[in-house]
Amino acid sequence: METYPEAKKGEAAQAASPASPPAGRAARSGGKRRRRSRGLGAARASINAFYLPAVALFSVFVVYPLIRGVWLSFTNWNGYSQTYRMNGLANYQRLIEDPNVHTAFINTIVYGLGSTLLQNVLGLAFALLLNNRFRGRTAARTLIYLPVMIAPLIMGYVMYFFVRYNHGAFNDILGAFGVAPIDWMAEGPRAVAIITLVNTLQFVGVAMVIYLAGLQSIPAMYYEAASLDGASPWRQFRHVTLPMLVPAITSAVMINLIGGLKLFDVIMALAGGGYSTASLSTLINRTYFGSEAAGYASAIGIAMFLFIMAVSAAAQRYLSRKEVAI
Amino acid sequence: MKKLVLGGVAAAMVLSLTACGATNKDSGDGKDVTLTFSTNVVGEQATALEQAIKAFTTETGIKVDFSAPGESYEDLMKTKMAANELPDVFTTHGWSVARYSDYLAPVNDQPFFSKIADQIKPVITAENGDVYVLPIDQDIAGLVYNIDVLESAGVDVDSLTTWAKFGEALAAIKATGVTPLHMGGKDSWPIGQYGDWVGPSYFITDDASNQREALKSGTFDEATWQRVGGMMADWVQAGFFNEDALTADYASDAAAIAEGKSAFGFYGNSFIVDARATNPDAKLGMMPIPAASATDAPSLIAGERIAVGVWKDSPRKDAAFKLLNFLAKDENVQAIASASGNPAGLKGVTSDIGDIQTYIDKYSAVRTFPYFDREYLPSGMWDVMCATGSDILAQKPDAVQQAALTMQQNFKDKF
Amino acid sequence: MAAIRGVGRGPKRSSWWKTVLAIGIGIFYLLPIYLTVNIALRPATDTRSLWAPAKSLYLGNFATAFEQGRIGRALVNSVIITGSCILLIALVGAFAAYPLARRRTRVNSGIKGFVLGVMMVPPLSILVSLYANMVQLGGVSKFWGIVLTITAFELPLSIFLYTNFIAAIPPALDEAAAIDGAGPVRTFFSVILPQLKPVTASVVILTGMHAWNDYQFSLYLLQKPDMRSLPLAIASFFSQTTSDLNAATAAALIAMLPAVLLFLFLQRYFIRGMVDSALK
Repeated sequence: METYPEAKKGEAAQAASPASPPAGRAARSGGKRRRRSRGLGAARASINAFYLPAVALFSVFVVYPLIRGVWLSFTNWNGYSQTYRMNGLANYQRLIEDPNVHTAFINTIVYGLGSTLLQNVLGLAFALLLNNRFRGRTAARTLIYLPVMIAPLIMGYVMYFFVRYNHGAFNDILGAFGVAPIDWMAEGPRAVAIITLVNTLQFVGVAMVIYLAGLQSIPAMYYEAASLDGASPWRQFRHVTLPMLVPAITSAVMINLIGGLKLFDVIMALAGGGYSTASLSTLINRTYFGSEAAGYASAIGIAMFLFIMAVSAAAQRYLSRKEVAI
Repeated sequence: MKKLVLGGVAAAMVLSLTACGATNKDSGDGKDVTLTFSTNVVGEQATALEQAIKAFTTETGIKVDFSAPGESYEDLMKTKMAANELPDVFTTHGWSVARYSDYLAPVNDQPFFSKIADQIKPVITAENGDVYVLPIDQDIAGLVYNIDVLESAGVDVDSLTTWAKFGEALAAIKATGVTPLHMGGKDSWPIGQYGDWVGPSYFITDDASNQREALKSGTFDEATWQRVGGMMADWVQAGFFNEDALTADYASDAAAIAEGKSAFGFYGNSFIVDARATNPDAKLGMMPIPAASATDAPSLIAGERIAVGVWKDSPRKDAAFKLLNFLAKDENVQAIASASGNPAGLKGVTSDIGDIQTYIDKYSAVRTFPYFDREYLPSGMWDVMCATGSDILAQKPDAVQQAALTMQQNFKDKF
Repeated sequence: MAAIRGVGRGPKRSSWWKTVLAIGIGIFYLLPIYLTVNIALRPATDTRSLWAPAKSLYLGNFATAFEQGRIGRALVNSVIITGSCILLIALVGAFAAYPLARRRTRVNSGIKGFVLGVMMVPPLSILVSLYANMVQLGGVSKFWGIVLTITAFELPLSIFLYTNFIAAIPPALDEAAAIDGAGPVRTFFSVILPQLKPVTASVVILTGMHAWNDYQFSLYLLQKPDMRSLPLAIASFFSQTTSDLNAATAAALIAMLPAVLLFLFLQRYFIRGMVDSALK
């Protein structure tokens, strides 16, 4: 991941003085590069051997099965029989016309972008709060991170106890105030919103920890300088904290985005595999095992892979441009 | 240098791998056999199965790896079929013929074959006469009802011979303030139950006029399915289903009928066992499924439930059949069937299922039919039935017509 | 938290409202945990509101979790699996990150894109092929099968974190080692590896959680009952019909404990590690 040009990093670590900006950096790192390529040609070749274990694992466990998945997406396989036939692009054509795919596609975008946005805003807010020294800070931080460590499926089931209609924890509270119960997960945008929220609250800890770390890496002298200039807390946040956090934002956004777009367990636990709240992942599951249309499910899987790839690449490019701009 | 790196990497990999594998050495070292056994059931039924299997190991010395993965069993088995690598012995959850017959060894020459109960035998017999499983229990399913709720509404179960009369009873129960039907639609499969319970009365059970032949030869009449779906739509309209029919789960169905908050359940007798997990004193009964027309009579569903088969390509087939015959012993069949709350699948064995047995005896003369989707619909239709049913529950516009058309289209595609 | 002490901004302002706010957030996050504990401590026949505290200290669900769910054995298995995964993910990840961090070529940026891509493969779309593959390799119901699979899918995150961290280590150190005649391997083990402690804490926490909670791969690759990991043991309480939610919740609580302890132990390194890797 190209979060930061490495030369800059090496430089940042070496050159303590922030006063020697771009020009010096380019010259220096360029010079270094040339020197290295001349002197250490042999080492350079052999350093690539460090890739080997990773490449071996990826080829056996990811690439090869993925290629088979592509192959299956051109078949009518039912997922278990020993025979199937090729049916060309029929699965992809069906995918374009299938209203269930459209719904799942839109839901996936909501789950992915919605929880990424919420997790980052909330995570940053929590980090800003917990970056102060006060009583109970460690406890609060641990509590917020705790749900990350619970299996999402179990978390989903516990949250189902909150939102279910009968004996649901929310409706019990409403009932105590004499309010009629609400069918929280009934079809429609509310159910999608609740799933997004549950996912957000469970994994906000990841973003929070990344931002906490980011805040710690901002040298205190920047704030001191800003204070001397009489900058308000908001201006300090806007002009010191936020720009310095862009690399952290990149990491948090990428991790959250990929997690949100692949959302599966929470949806299954909260809403079952129904089509109205389906994400592409749950739709693939139902199509594959339920409808016994494994070939079609593979086609949806490949389309989803390409889609997530495109979204992440776009996000990555946008964020790294921001970084360079600082 | 490159070699050194490679060597180092390889050494590291090998080291860590052997470290992981070390604890796994005990599995198959030479002569003693270890069978694999997988089942879809969990809880008490799984415990009963496992105890029988432990007794088998004690007696024969043959080790058995017992696995009950739970909810994902069916997905797991599909994947194993795809890889053509199945457990030596496994339960078939109703699909011994329709889905697993290609993978199972026939049991026709086994000693227990002649003891298979008459009601279950046709259900598990393939067209060529082969039977592939030992049926430990059998599913004799009708409608489960709450005795107290029906009593307070003044409904007599024996008068509910047609859906029309059943509908009147639902209205009478609704009038007493109880929502008569509880649907756990979040789990999806309870919606399919409706199709399996109501479908036969329109398509199959009427000896005078039915579509058995048509379905078998690949014709699905969408107009008939509109009547099946239409009845559900009418019930939704009339408020006979719970408010949260699409977001409640199966567990809440069981809880509702146990607490007297619903009247009927479209489930087999294990539903009674599940309901009593939350309220052990629930007064529950079982009745035949009403007919669609006044000239037809109510019926029951006879299905395969806990049935055990042997993988035909198992390298340990002899031991596997030994296990099968061990499970077929009266005391084992009796113990497992009792835990499932169903009659035993072998003749001469009576399971200990208390009051449920009285209902089975009471209706022993009622005609039984196989599960609709397993017998008459191509594989993969079950999910379509669930999905289209959920649209009807959600009162989507034209859901009934759409459901029938979708069913017909999928039937054609998958046949 | 020595790492945080350094920041110290605005020490003069009163901080009572922050404590109040933190308590509010804490309570909010305690609610699901309260419900979980509460459900685990009551029998299935207790159908009162979930808020109502358990009537007595009922430990039957925990007994079921241990006896029927064999949570004890599963705990051992999960420790073996997660431990091996963490080891491999860290080692192989650091290996791959080294050339990636040190050399910026077209090929390398291609590799980075590929690594990013692996993170995005929906596991379900390759599950069946993966399983068939494993049957051929003989990796089903072997610890190495599940360990290598999880490792392969968690490697990208590890490579991502390590690459950023290693890039921050001054290349001058490598060069000095090279001038002393050390090859890349020796340089890696003597110069790079010793410095990776903080970032390794992050890698362990983030990828270890996934390994600990993995259900989908384990379901297919760990079919022997003696090899069941914790998520599988918990799932065995759920079936289409009979589900023992109370016992499942009790089992889930037991499964959570080691993860929480690990977090508490590592969080100091963890947060420091994050500073150096994710953020650069």
